[in-house]
Amino acid sequence: MLGRTLREVSAALKQGQVTPTELCKKCLSLIKKTKYLNAYITVSEEVALKQAEESEKRYQQGQSLGDLDGIPVAVKDNFSTSGIETTCASNMLKGYIPPYNATVVQKLLDQGALLMGKTNLDEFAMGSGSTDGVFGPVKNPWSYSKQYRERRRHDEHGDSHWLITGGSSGGSAAAVAAFTCFAALGSDTGGSTRNPAAHCGLVGFKPSYGLVSRHGLIPLVNSMDVPGIFTRCVDDTAIVLGVLAGHDPKDSTTVQDPIKPLMIPGEMDVSRLCIGIPKEYMVPELSSEIQSLWSQAADLFASEGAKVIEVSLPHTCYSIVCYHVLCTSEVASNMARFDGLQYGHRSGIDVSTEAMYAATRQEGFNDVVRGRILSGNFFLLKENYENYFIKAQKVRRLIVRDFVNAFESGVDVLLTPTTLSEAVPYLEFIKEDNRTRSAQDDIFTQAVNMAGLPAVSVPVALSNQGLPIGLQLIGRAFCDQQLLTVAKWFEKQVQFPIIQLQDLMDDGSLVLENGKLTSVSLT
Amino acid sequence: MAASVLRLIYPGRRWALAWIDGGSRQRSGTQTGPASNWARGQSSVAQLSLHTAQKPRKGEHKWAAVVGLEIHVQISSNSKLFSGAQVCFAAPPNSLVSFFDASLPGTLPVLNRRCVEAAVMTGLALNCHINKKSSFDRKHYFYADLPAGYQITQQRLPIAANGHLTYSVYMGKKRSQMATKTVRIKQIQLEQDSGKSLHDDLRSQTLIDLNRAGVGLLEVVLEPDLCCGEEAAIAVRELQMILQALGTSQANMAEGQLRVDANISVHHPGEPLGVRTEVKNLNSLRFLAKAIDYEIQRQITELESGGEILNETRSFDYKLGCTVPMRDKEGKQDYRFMPEPNLPPLVLYDATSLPADADSQQVVNIDELRDMLPELPSTTRERLVEQYGILPEHSFTLLNEVGLLEFFQSVIKETRAEPKKVTNWVLNTLLYYLKQQNLAVSESPVTPAALAELLDLLDSKAISSSAAKQVFEELWKGDGKTAAQIVSEQQLELMQDREALEQLCQATMDSHPQVVMDVRNRNPKAINKLIGLVRRASLSRADPTLIKEILEKKLSL
Amino acid sequence: MWARALRVRFRTPLDRGRGFASKAGPQEKVQETGQGTHSPRLALQGADRVPAAKIEHLERLALVNFGSREAVARLEKAIAFADQLHAVDTDGVEPLESVLEDRCLYLRSDNVAEGNCTEELLRNSHHVVEEYFVAPPGNISLPDMVNKTPSPTAE
Repeated sequence: MLGRTLREVSAALKQGQVTPTELCKKCLSLIKKTKYLNAYITVSEEVALKQAEESEKRYQQGQSLGDLDGIPVAVKDNFSTSGIETTCASNMLKGYIPPYNATVVQKLLDQGALLMGKTNLDEFAMGSGSTDGVFGPVKNPWSYSKQYRERRRHDEHGDSHWLITGGSSGGSAAAVAAFTCFAALGSDTGGSTRNPAAHCGLVGFKPSYGLVSRHGLIPLVNSMDVPGIFTRCVDDTAIVLGVLAGHDPKDSTTVQDPIKPLMIPGEMDVSRLCIGIPKEYMVPELSSEIQSLWSQAADLFASEGAKVIEVSLPHTCYSIVCYHVLCTSEVASNMARFDGLQYGHRSGIDVSTEAMYAATRQEGFNDVVRGRILSGNFFLLKENYENYFIKAQKVRRLIVRDFVNAFESGVDVLLTPTTLSEAVPYLEFIKEDNRTRSAQDDIFTQAVNMAGLPAVSVPVALSNQGLPIGLQLIGRAFCDQQLLTVAKWFEKQVQFPIIQLQDLMDDGSLVLENGKLTSVSLT
Repeated sequence: MAASVLRLIYPGRRWALAWIDGGSRQRSGTQTGPASNWARGQSSVAQLSLHTAQKPRKGEHKWAAVVGLEIHVQISSNSKLFSGAQVCFAAPPNSLVSFFDASLPGTLPVLNRRCVEAAVMTGLALNCHINKKSSFDRKHYFYADLPAGYQITQQRLPIAANGHLTYSVYMGKKRSQMATKTVRIKQIQLEQDSGKSLHDDLRSQTLIDLNRAGVGLLEVVLEPDLCCGEEAAIAVRELQMILQALGTSQANMAEGQLRVDANISVHHPGEPLGVRTEVKNLNSLRFLAKAIDYEIQRQITELESGGEILNETRSFDYKLGCTVPMRDKEGKQDYRFMPEPNLPPLVLYDATSLPADADSQQVVNIDELRDMLPELPSTTRERLVEQYGILPEHSFTLLNEVGLLEFFQSVIKETRAEPKKVTNWVLNTLLYYLKQQNLAVSESPVTPAALAELLDLLDSKAISSSAAKQVFEELWKGDGKTAAQIVSEQQLELMQDREALEQLCQATMDSHPQVVMDVRNRNPKAINKLIGLVRRASLSRADPTLIKEILEKKLSL
Repeated sequence: MWARALRVRFRTPLDRGRGFASKAGPQEKVQETGQGTHSPRLALQGADRVPAAKIEHLERLALVNFGSREAVARLEKAIAFADQLHAVDTDGVEPLESVLEDRCLYLRSDNVAEGNCTEELLRNSHHVVEEYFVAPPGNISLPDMVNKTPSPTAE
């Protein structure tokens, strides 16, 4: 049951083949079994069981709320959840219990979803590995997959060479990849949903900026953040997006246009499609495997009659620099509210307000956060504002224009890699500092955030080491439906394999539908 | 009439503090006549109490003072600027605070339409250009009453700019001439108010109440066109009245709905401007004027004795009557302004740019608001002059004193007496009595109805004007007696019986042959003496005009 | 076909690309993208060190300490990284503040819909007295705290 799609489970619930409580208990048990992944910061067992009970009543009365009723979901721990601790993986918010639900959380709950828990992340969503939170790093479930263990180059025993999930929404990715829930919310500011989705073999969706409410999402960069969706297939993403999208009077950056219900057609006429390949995304650091997959994907579209053309996004090489300036500046501003007075950690230093604030922020934030605050403040200084911040805003406009030009030349969707390589071992990842890593890993993803476009990472194939590789599709602003349509078609073609988690298979928790999995091998 | 202290001079010309007259102005309390009553909030007429200032040394160069004001006005609205929490003056601590106001992480600002309208109307009333596109910024600094660590304001592109405020001052030695002056308005911006800190020195802590955090403010920035405390007070008073007429703010200074910060510098005319200081926390018109004048003098004294002025922030100490440096806000401050990313630009429309299918709830139409502007004080004053034939300075006094215009209009409505008489009694008599006892119009023991009745009696010649004054005095005691009752009790009615009066005249003439003789001898003072005698004989119950007429007839003059 | 051209280009030997561990350290960021694009210059190490007064100033404005020489070095690298922006020609380009700049700002009606949740708000605070949040007294400037005289440029 856990390996099914949302629609299938929903149907099963309606038919009584399984109950919400059974599903809930199954997921809770899996969460316990996969505790070593460290995907969850808080497991809201009582809450989930209670919700399951209520959902069950509804099903018994034939009054289910919809496709998400009774479905276990998880939420990244930077979304406010009423009555449930929300930490952002930071000492600053340890013990903070918000009095309200983020709009997207509320929407899920209003549809009857079961909240399994809050997932792990990089502190305040700053990072690309989900390794820099106070609750420790998240482990990629694929580290323990049969596929990886059989094919990895080195013959290590033990756990020391486990792989990262990517970040910053690694906990949500791991939670979905390990079947502990059917969907999870992440956030995406520079790729924080798409990156771990690619590393964990999931569909990671970033909606258009303004489509989904950010009210209750503890912000990293207000002008770029969006809630992200993790699922195991595109259809499921569409269901969740359908619930979440729409104007929120509490978020002035959501658009007021009425949202048409999301309908992803089963078939699509690929021959009418124009796929753009940005040439600047061909960087030397890109792994040859991913390059090859990218090329094959382009061929795939072409072979079905789509027009595949090269486009240019000339300012690509500056986008990471631009992002760096704008991101740190907004971080500097957004973090100013953490002073220990109204909520969160409060230092014992009491001599003066300033001293208390300084000590609180010293104790509450990790190095990464503090570093970004200081950099950001530097760029916002009167004497630097014009040269750095305004300059970055101008470059941002050039980047946005690049995309507009590309789309105006007839392109419907851009096809790019999501990551430079497959997931790397943790020990290797931590050799570089957070900022450097982020700068490297966000290379294909953050320009999309600057332009506010929708994008999705679709898992494509396994690498030579048996690890997932995803490719990214980027759509026009507010053409999320079209993007998902293309993604669904693409997903159907590539038939990415299901993760074979050894211990889950051994104890019968995970039963594969077919004895063997087939996939169109692209490698 | 009070002696003048300040000869109000246009900036750039000679600043003359006529200290010689200073002494005579220091009598507290008594002020007679309307000309000396320039406005002051709700309380009685302010005087520039200059006892703390020093005399300049002889033979000094001329100094000119430059004063600019930043006025923060609390918008009169139900809810706050960016949140739906209530705006209310007195409430239990932290009860009018939303999650956003407390800066809970993840909360976002949502703009209140009413505040936008208030800003546009104020901008229009102050002759500003309304920016069709304005934006919001974050101004960063740490303070216990600022939960987010930044204030949302409009620094780069405010909602209104380049306007002017016109006010009138009394000029000349006798302060009898009125002149119109203008101060330019640099901009009007929407911004958030901060919370309140209460210092508990006993327990060495500060108590924070966020009820006021997030309340909508209009910051009105005046260019430094003012030159002294009195001008500043008058200008602010005029602004206050405009805001109250518009309904955009109650502008009550005592309740903190209108706060003024002053930027003050001095220089020699023709030379570059001096270093300026900022004086904050001025919560009454009287203290505003006092603080500014003190600071001007302090700077002059400092510079004349070879010192220098620091670009600092100072606070006015009410008890000592002087400005002192504020220790809290020292150090190089850099607000690191940044656009507020959670608020896309605010777009306003007019009749020409209004989109056809616009949701009326979502658009603000400048032209529509312009049509809805109520009568502004300057127009009211013009109307009063025209309608009632009163002098311009009287119209100022009527508007300046809180409640006086309403009082005046009530009396006018209820009496037959002509407006000029009403004006005289309201401005000269009533106001005099009020000032004597430092009372507000609302505290007057004499109600409009009572005064109206008195004027009716006077008008119908039932009593003489001197009797009327007596009656007023009695009414002032507030014993609850009506004018008519007092008249009858004290037997102040004018004699109505002409025949009786003629007899009285005759009797008086008979008993004062010498005076009659003087009258016949054309002694000019004699007739008045005779009239006086008749009056006395009549126990002041005879109309002097009538007495005169009868006497003249009898004496065949 | 585009794909064929791409394959040709791919034949050039490439870094295995697991992460990007260049020997020169994180400072250098070389991206040789395809033809016709601008290449950001290498930032020189050690150029433009941030003066101590500025460090102090930043610490006071941000109320966050650098804490170590490494942290200052990280800032310097961040600045050097950001300096690459100056290679871009932005003449005549307007700064972009929001991708929604062409959209209307939503206006809320002036109704009282929030507040009255004193208990919920106070619950999350560590130091509360009656219904007030509690802060330490005043704002004594930090330099005084460590017995340093405030810099003469403070005014």
